[in-house]
Amino acid sequence: MASREIIVPKNDKLNVSRNFNLPHSPGVRAGDFIFLSGMLSTDPASGERSPGTMAHETRQTLSNMRHLLESAGSSLERVVKINVLLYDLLEFENMNGVYRQFFPKDPPARTVCGVQLSAGMKIEIECIALAG
Amino acid sequence: MPSLPRIVVSPPRPGLDMGAHYGWIQSAAIRCGDYVFVSGIVAVDPESGERLNGTLASEAHRAFQNLGLVLEAAGSSLARLVQVRAMIYDRIEYDALNRVYRQYVPEGPPARTVWSARIMDAFKVQLDAVAVV
Repeated sequence: MASREIIVPKNDKLNVSRNFNLPHSPGVRAGDFIFLSGMLSTDPASGERSPGTMAHETRQTLSNMRHLLESAGSSLERVVKINVLLYDLLEFENMNGVYRQFFPKDPPARTVCGVQLSAGMKIEIECIALAG
Repeated sequence: MPSLPRIVVSPPRPGLDMGAHYGWIQSAAIRCGDYVFVSGIVAVDPESGERLNGTLASEAHRAFQNLGLVLEAAGSSLARLVQVRAMIYDRIEYDALNRVYRQYVPEGPPARTVWSARIMDAFKVQLDAVAVV
């Protein structure tokens, strides 16, 4: 039987599922992998949503993802698969320009999709990473 | 290093055989080591295979119950889910989904992303899941 352990960010303000009373966990560690929920741009100081340009939301979301992975002993370098959901594929390049800065070398496998998002946000990102 | 065995999980009830009923080319689930990868689950009658299109809430209840049946057939359970992609036909029903969703994963819920997507056969919900045994 594989281990199954809930993971949370060290910064409590980024525990969105708890702060907004949503029925999911920030992430789950199962065996050698960490599975994260979809993340939106959230202000790490206030815990509120932080809408803005695609570049801003991408940067904030990936920063928060890095924090959550590092809270669990992993890192962006250990991400194996990532799914990027955009409100409009017209903004692909605006996302990609910032994304590149977070994965400068050997980036993870990735799928990008255009979807409807909640609360007027422009990007949502989820991933699977190797644990610590 | 030997590769992990790849075990096909058979539909635990006749109605959940989506290949036989609808020609969908998929196994109910595949188990590899401790991980179970489940095909997209929709609201069909687990005995007859009949489509149970309804409200988002009624479809979500049926889909979760069907997901539970498949997971148990694979040696896992709803409590052992690790990641779910909950697909809904329209974002406007996000809260309706959550109201049902939390009843099935009350403790330590899995990681989740809600995708607004067009779903086959006009279903309003489809659950795509990874679990551990």
